[in-house]
Amino acid sequence: MPIKPQIRAYIAENFLHGSPAADFTDATPLITSGIVDSLGMISLVDFLESNFGIEFLPREIDVDSLDTIEHIDAVVRAKLVDLQSVDLRHGQ
Amino acid sequence: MPAPSKDSLCAWLAHTTAASPAAPAIMEEDRVTSFSELLAQAQSLAVRFVEFGVVPQDRIVLVLPKTTDAIIALFATLFAGAICVPIHPQWPAERIESVVAECSARLVIHGDTCPPRITDSRTGTFLPWPESPASPDSLPVIDDPNPALILFTSGSSGQPKGVVLSHRAIATFVHWTASEFHITSADRIACPSPLGFDLSTFDIFNMALTGAACVLVPSNIVWMPRFLTTFIRDARITCWYSVPSILSGMLHRGRFADYTYPDLRLILFAGEVFSPPDVVRLQTAVPHALCANLYGPTETNVVTWHPVPTGFDGASPLPIGQPCPYAEITVDPATGELLAGGDSLMSGYWGHPQETSRAFVCLHGRQFYRTGDRVQLDSTGSYTYLGRFDRQVKRRGFRIELAEIETALLNHADILEAAVIATTRPQTGTCLTAFACLRASTTLTPTDARMYCARSLPAYMLPDHILFIDAMPRGNRGKIDYAALSAMQKD
Repeated sequence: MPIKPQIRAYIAENFLHGSPAADFTDATPLITSGIVDSLGMISLVDFLESNFGIEFLPREIDVDSLDTIEHIDAVVRAKLVDLQSVDLRHGQ
Repeated sequence: MPAPSKDSLCAWLAHTTAASPAAPAIMEEDRVTSFSELLAQAQSLAVRFVEFGVVPQDRIVLVLPKTTDAIIALFATLFAGAICVPIHPQWPAERIESVVAECSARLVIHGDTCPPRITDSRTGTFLPWPESPASPDSLPVIDDPNPALILFTSGSSGQPKGVVLSHRAIATFVHWTASEFHITSADRIACPSPLGFDLSTFDIFNMALTGAACVLVPSNIVWMPRFLTTFIRDARITCWYSVPSILSGMLHRGRFADYTYPDLRLILFAGEVFSPPDVVRLQTAVPHALCANLYGPTETNVVTWHPVPTGFDGASPLPIGQPCPYAEITVDPATGELLAGGDSLMSGYWGHPQETSRAFVCLHGRQFYRTGDRVQLDSTGSYTYLGRFDRQVKRRGFRIELAEIETALLNHADILEAAVIATTRPQTGTCLTAFACLRASTTLTPTDARMYCARSLPAYMLPDHILFIDAMPRGNRGKIDYAALSAMQKD
């Protein structure tokens, strides 16, 4: 399953009572709008790490890179690419 | 060298700097600021404030995370004789603006630039951060009882209220901690609370008083248990002070018990009830460290304390303990409410003399603050917290008046009635559920309502669940029946 729908489903289930507002999009701010608070951000990072097999560094936990579904999707993709290149190097 | 004025927080910094100018005062990731650098920068900024026209008792609002620059600005404010009002930069703009207006701020220091921006709140013009040192000769002499800080906390009237703390009130608490816990220049202190919380008086002013290094927890990892565990180890923290929720997070999700912390000798916690099993886990993980429960609302700072006894079994709640030497504690015999007096008390609520007089009660010619906390005194002279008399709750150590959330909901044109209840579960902590009755024609969704609240409330005050109901349950006298709402929430 592609990355974005998984993130979208997680956000909808955990922060939007399963029923997003009509104007909710992948660009809607999550943290700066108050939909996800600091504790929610920990759960979100936990979910991303366990679901996609990636690991965040302290400096990567910032509001800007996790504030919208689009941004989260980009972060996860970048991390998966990094992982792949590490795997390839190890495989050589 | 003469000892500094006992109660002037900025005189402490000058005195400590004279004794150990090159020692590290603030450590913020790769940036280390020595005492001489901190003093020079704070005094230069203070001179800039005075030249600009800041006079003693003016308010300077810091909308900054807990950074080196924020601490420089805090001491600069005190050197200028002004009152520092630290507020969290992640508060919604509406709330920040209301606090700036409420305390008629002269200057607002804000922004994520380094150094931050200084704005004249009357004209909106910027004041440059000083680049070269200035002579501190023009700075005013500070009298002891002057207000030093205004800390804004949730208000039951629907607006945050500003707790005014004098130099003396803060100094009283800090002097005690330095002596009781033997804090010295060899210590590295960390306190992840934002500047606007009374817990932050511990690390910042112990640094100024004792020469200990104040090690700043990067604000993006404050709620990330795994990174906090690493931070405490790597920064070789010796003294830690936080709300219990952060410690519980590290114990349950931060693999705290998997490592050793040879430098960590003191763990203080305050702000909410620490679950007894977690206290046991903490003590088991760091058996050589002194762990202690500190108690007191923002209005009094810490007034009682209880060291966790060796072999604490967690079978009963950890007491809030015995009075600190400077505190006078008594219990209203009619109600069981804890009343606190002594030198650490607030001066009052900023701009609200009536609310201030309601908060205090005069006994034997002395003022006591009515804490609203129900307590029990045991035969050893130790107090145990039993609960609240009002609708104030704690969530992750943040103090919340449920009425303030209700006010935020009721400000929405489509919400006719609103009631908020708090429930506590062992795994998730305090959960806030809002009930609202809506105007018939509305298309409002619970997410819309939550986002509407987020325009005026900080994130920790937002309801976890918002339920729309047809009619608000009411008792015989027409008051909202919160017990009935609790029952509905369980269904």
